[in-house]
Amino acid sequence: MKFSVLKSDLLRELQLFQGVVERKNTIPILANLLIEAEDGVDTVRLAATDLEVALLSRCDAKVNQGGAVTLPAKKLNDIVRALPETQIEFSQPTDGTVNVVADRFSSRIQALPREDFPSLPEGTGESVTRLSSEALGEMVSKTQFAITGEDTRYFLNGALFLISDSQMTLVATDGHRLALVTSGRGNGDELEEGAEGHDEARVILPKKTLWELARLVDPRNGLLGDEKTDVLYEQGENHLFFDVNGRQLVSRMVDAQFPAHERVIPQGNNKRVEFERDRLAKAIKRVALLSTERSRAVKFKIDANKVEVSSSSPEVGEASEELSVDYKGAEVAICFNAQYVLDFLNVVDSESVLLEFKDELSQAVLSPVSDDSYDYNYTYVIMPMRV
Amino acid sequence: MDAFYTSVEQRDDPSLRSKPVAVGGHPERRGVVAAASYEARKFGIRSAMSMARALRLCPDLVIVRPDFERYREVSTQVFAIYRSVTSLVEPLSLDEAYLDVTENEWQEPFATTVAKRLKRLIFEQTRLTVSAGVAPNKFLAKIASDWDKPDGLTIIPTGKVEAFLQKLPVEALWGVGPVTAKSLRAAGVVRLVDVRNVDPQILRNAVGSQAHGLQRLAAGIDDRPVIPNRTIKSSGSEHTYPIDLTDRETIESELDRMARLKAEWLTGNKLLARTVTIKVRYSDFTTVTRSHTAAEPTEKAERIAARAKTLLNKTQAGTRPIRLLGVSLHNLASEEDSVTKLNALKLPI
Repeated sequence: MKFSVLKSDLLRELQLFQGVVERKNTIPILANLLIEAEDGVDTVRLAATDLEVALLSRCDAKVNQGGAVTLPAKKLNDIVRALPETQIEFSQPTDGTVNVVADRFSSRIQALPREDFPSLPEGTGESVTRLSSEALGEMVSKTQFAITGEDTRYFLNGALFLISDSQMTLVATDGHRLALVTSGRGNGDELEEGAEGHDEARVILPKKTLWELARLVDPRNGLLGDEKTDVLYEQGENHLFFDVNGRQLVSRMVDAQFPAHERVIPQGNNKRVEFERDRLAKAIKRVALLSTERSRAVKFKIDANKVEVSSSSPEVGEASEELSVDYKGAEVAICFNAQYVLDFLNVVDSESVLLEFKDELSQAVLSPVSDDSYDYNYTYVIMPMRV
Repeated sequence: MDAFYTSVEQRDDPSLRSKPVAVGGHPERRGVVAAASYEARKFGIRSAMSMARALRLCPDLVIVRPDFERYREVSTQVFAIYRSVTSLVEPLSLDEAYLDVTENEWQEPFATTVAKRLKRLIFEQTRLTVSAGVAPNKFLAKIASDWDKPDGLTIIPTGKVEAFLQKLPVEALWGVGPVTAKSLRAAGVVRLVDVRNVDPQILRNAVGSQAHGLQRLAAGIDDRPVIPNRTIKSSGSEHTYPIDLTDRETIESELDRMARLKAEWLTGNKLLARTVTIKVRYSDFTTVTRSHTAAEPTEKAERIAARAKTLLNKTQAGTRPIRLLGVSLHNLASEEDSVTKLNALKLPI
């Protein structure tokens, strides 16, 4: 095997793999990146997996001699990042090692054989659904913070992903709050009537899959080509496949039932208060500095045309800040975990947000107040704290 | 304290006096013995034994459900007495502590006098007996306190340390259980003092990295200070088996037993744990640990036991012989913390 690649091309791909490789090092090969070069093809293929998520990618290269090998992904990333912008040459003098040479730098790295690398599931390409990468990115960023990731209840370690013929929905919850986003699938690619047979999907995406997907579709990472790039989605028997501009993310399906989220969304919330988003976020950040570190509770005392946001900590002291709002009802108080409210305020970009609730012990709902130019619906259900 | 939980029970309920009593869980619900009265110990009943087995050893055994609230009250009372004498009190559990009485509030020059006065004071105020060991360091003090129970007082003056060490079997060393002792005995190490002269390699084979520490202890050297107010970060139990375990069912029931013992410990200390860790040492001494951390802390025996057993799936239990099993709890939280958690209401999922 012998090929050369441009540093920046390789580094861009290597960074994508850092979140995929197994961190705990229980199985050495899972910390490695598979590199495959083929004679007569001017790209090398790259792959890594932790057996839950796999990523397959490629990188422009000049291939002198085909071959395949696996190298430790983290170490390779460190080396390549430290190199100047130049051609990096990979060659394999013996079976067990790879020479990585660039400029005046030369190194020899221990490799593991290609045969040890797990075989990765492949999509059939037969029942592909096109999803807007932009919408998908929005949905992931608005839900991923509500996943706990460390709960014994499997469904809380991922987000529920629903696809219908024209819409897609992502739902995540940690048992105290629930974030739900519904969006059009975009690009006018709605299916013709009667043809939606394979198009209904209801799966749980593991947390890690969401993180990697968010990275792939984030336009700031420059991986999309153009912003109208679609994500090609396919559901296999045990795996899900996302193709983003030629890079494939393969995810194990979480084998669990997601709770009936529809029942969590309250219907009879009769108290409504609209806030300026930015002012509310700043007030909570300031006031929460004097909340107890464990509970992070902030109290909303809502009275005629004003809301007093306050918190107190027996050890430190107390704080409050008043906000003007349009409210005519009776005085009422409700407490929230400041972080939960801020998580929501941080990911919406509307000028105003709406708080709807019934009483101080039932589910409240936060949602952005936006004109019709947004083509997604965002509902954030949040459980109050006992005062 | 002597047979602490059962002594409290026998003190408060005269009908239990001079009877074999065990405090612990229900025998049919895989309960374990948390404490056994001296009458029960005559039947071979020991703490950490399964209650079902205890009942087989002594069918007349009176089983009492633990009342940790009351034990804690007594413990607080006793620790207050300790702290009135010295601020250097290091609790080991609800009923055990190291006291550094080099300087003491009574201005008593002799530690032995301090120990005698403490024993008398505790008995006057609680009607319970304690056994004390007086020695120049923690290692010897602990052995001395166990030397003569109940209501004992064993003193090892600096000049008598060597004579005392000469009397001890190798098991007296911390970390040497029955299995290690057996392998050491095979190498000619029978008495504690034999450890000093044994080939270091043999010792390392038997006890691993503890070898150096054990040789120091065998020389009577222990310079660990008494540290007051040490916050408890974790608690674990482990057991080395005389015969390697191969049967999955036995392994599970052993883990179950230890997990329940740890749950009792949590309740006793008013704590909850988020992380359950199991330790498995295979017959070739390779050791693995597996952990599970939950978002919410618990003190529930059922849940801790279930998690410990699930972790077993990530080991080669059942296919590889196992010589040691352990269960430990980490990421401890006080009940107070979890009240805060309770205030965070849950979605009706």
